[in-house]
Amino acid sequence: MNTLVCLGGILFLLMVLVGGKKGARSFIAIFLNFCVILFTIFMMTDPLANPVILALIACTVISCITLFYINEVNRKTVTAFLSTMITFTILILFIVVITDQAKIQGFGEEETEELTAFSLYLGVDFVKIAAAMMIMSTIGAITDVAISISSPMQEMKNHNPTINRKELFTFGLSIGRDILGTNTNTLFFAFFGGYLAMLIWFKDLSYSLGTIVNSKVFSGEMINILCAGIGVALIIPITSWITAFFLDKEKKKK
Amino acid sequence: MKLIRNTIKGLTFKQILLFSITIISFLASILFVYHNDSFYDRTIAKVVDTQLKEKIEVVDSQNNKDQLFTQSIIAEIKNGELKGERIYLMNEYSASGAFDQDYEVGNEVFISIDKDRKESYLTGTIYDLKRDKYIVWMTWIFIFILVVVGKMQGVFSIVSLAVNAVLLSYALDVYLHTSTISLLLSCGIAAVLFTVISLLLVNGVNEKTYAAIIATLLGTFISFLITSLVMWITKEEGLHYEEMQFLTRPPQMVFMAGMLVGSLGAVMDVAITMSSSIFTLYEQNPQISMKALKTSAMDIGRDIMGTMTNILFFAYVSGSIPMLILYMKNGNLMGYTLSMNLSLELARAFAGGIGIVLAIPFGLYTSILFINRKRAKQ
Repeated sequence: MNTLVCLGGILFLLMVLVGGKKGARSFIAIFLNFCVILFTIFMMTDPLANPVILALIACTVISCITLFYINEVNRKTVTAFLSTMITFTILILFIVVITDQAKIQGFGEEETEELTAFSLYLGVDFVKIAAAMMIMSTIGAITDVAISISSPMQEMKNHNPTINRKELFTFGLSIGRDILGTNTNTLFFAFFGGYLAMLIWFKDLSYSLGTIVNSKVFSGEMINILCAGIGVALIIPITSWITAFFLDKEKKKK
Repeated sequence: MKLIRNTIKGLTFKQILLFSITIISFLASILFVYHNDSFYDRTIAKVVDTQLKEKIEVVDSQNNKDQLFTQSIIAEIKNGELKGERIYLMNEYSASGAFDQDYEVGNEVFISIDKDRKESYLTGTIYDLKRDKYIVWMTWIFIFILVVVGKMQGVFSIVSLAVNAVLLSYALDVYLHTSTISLLLSCGIAAVLFTVISLLLVNGVNEKTYAAIIATLLGTFISFLITSLVMWITKEEGLHYEEMQFLTRPPQMVFMAGMLVGSLGAVMDVAITMSSSIFTLYEQNPQISMKALKTSAMDIGRDIMGTMTNILFFAYVSGSIPMLILYMKNGNLMGYTLSMNLSLELARAFAGGIGIVLAIPFGLYTSILFINRKRAKQ
């Protein structure tokens, strides 16, 4: 039997066992997200389409699936969604500038040796594709932080209805700070695991530090990791502020 | 002004010291990275003028239209014996830029100088862009944002990341320099150290952390066992190692080790979330019944399960986007493209997901174990 099907089946089973209905929904959400990614990649092969815009649209759809389908449409998820969108917009501007400057698009010289059978003049803009790739690799982490902050803020508000906007904001920030370390860790290890082959390659061929740092593959991965970390940090004050703003506004209405 | 003065007055001596050290190392590293040409063995030149010479349209066998450009570049040599001299370089690049790039005035590039000097001026070839300053800038932006948002916790996360990076590099060195130890074993030992160090640094020395450490190790290693078992039973059908890049070692080993390290962070995250919320629930109400504790903890676990698996999924799958586009644009069928490029990433994501889900009950029961011990003592 196919290894992937088997692993996927075990994951589904465990998710249902541990998470019940919500677990099943989480698994379906992953499947839906996979379809969205595939469709986006398919669209990106059209030279006339802008990969950055496509990535932004994909991020919107994916955050909707992750936030509204796994959880429900309520104030927590709506504020989390808003903050996610704002963070993406800020982050993508930053990423577009840095990928353009550092010229880390496409494939490094180590990779192109194996790609001789391929045509590399494809008419699609690999700089924008690199930016799209970076933003999409952080989307899971960013939505996770957003919901992890807005949900306890809502709880706090329910327990203390008199709490004011500034106190709510500070509460959100303090939760964010608690999860900042573990979240950056999650991303770093995920990336480390993926780049293990590259790291061994550098060491085996005894690249000098100067060569490693300046190579396209290593600097590309480094910038990807750091951008992901920046995204995870940026979403904390943004979610805290937006959630505090909405919760406070609601109180005034009453 | 008054605000700034008050803020400075409110700082302790330690904070001012830490702040000054950071600013000084920031300025020093930026200064260094802009003037480090003499430290490189390779010749570096700075582009002072570029001119577009030629532009051709190309069409490949799959009817992909692209444009090829040739630019002539005048650059000034920044290091070595010929420092200060001007050199004439040629650069070819495409509009899509899959493996080439255009250069602009101000870019620094690594070059080689042609030995036989036929003309009255120097000529050479460009190897690649000098990218170190972008890395240094990005690292500082990352550090500043993390510290501004996270304050002390931000500092701790940066420290733990740095320690983990050094540790990983050391573990790989040990593996490469001793022939007897396998990559899996060295990464396994490293994984134990990563878990202990990161969790202690982020969460402090207490029972909460111990419970999380045990849950993380159990979750990671059991999910690793399950995955290995599945791979063994199914004879790795459907896994394609052919397209794995940067291979100097057996691909299967590298993949398994990467899987172990990759899922570790996420499992740690789940374990610490579980144990700290269970301990918080217990501290708020020490008389809480085991049943109530379990129900609340499982609710929390269910909430984080979906988004956590998503993190790994996107971090892994997104990295293949350029390669997928390359395959598809070269006329490969969708099924072939996906199975060649995504099989390993998906296997990794599934294995990580299994670890995440397992960490939920493990986190719950180890925390309860510690709480029961605490209760028995009282």
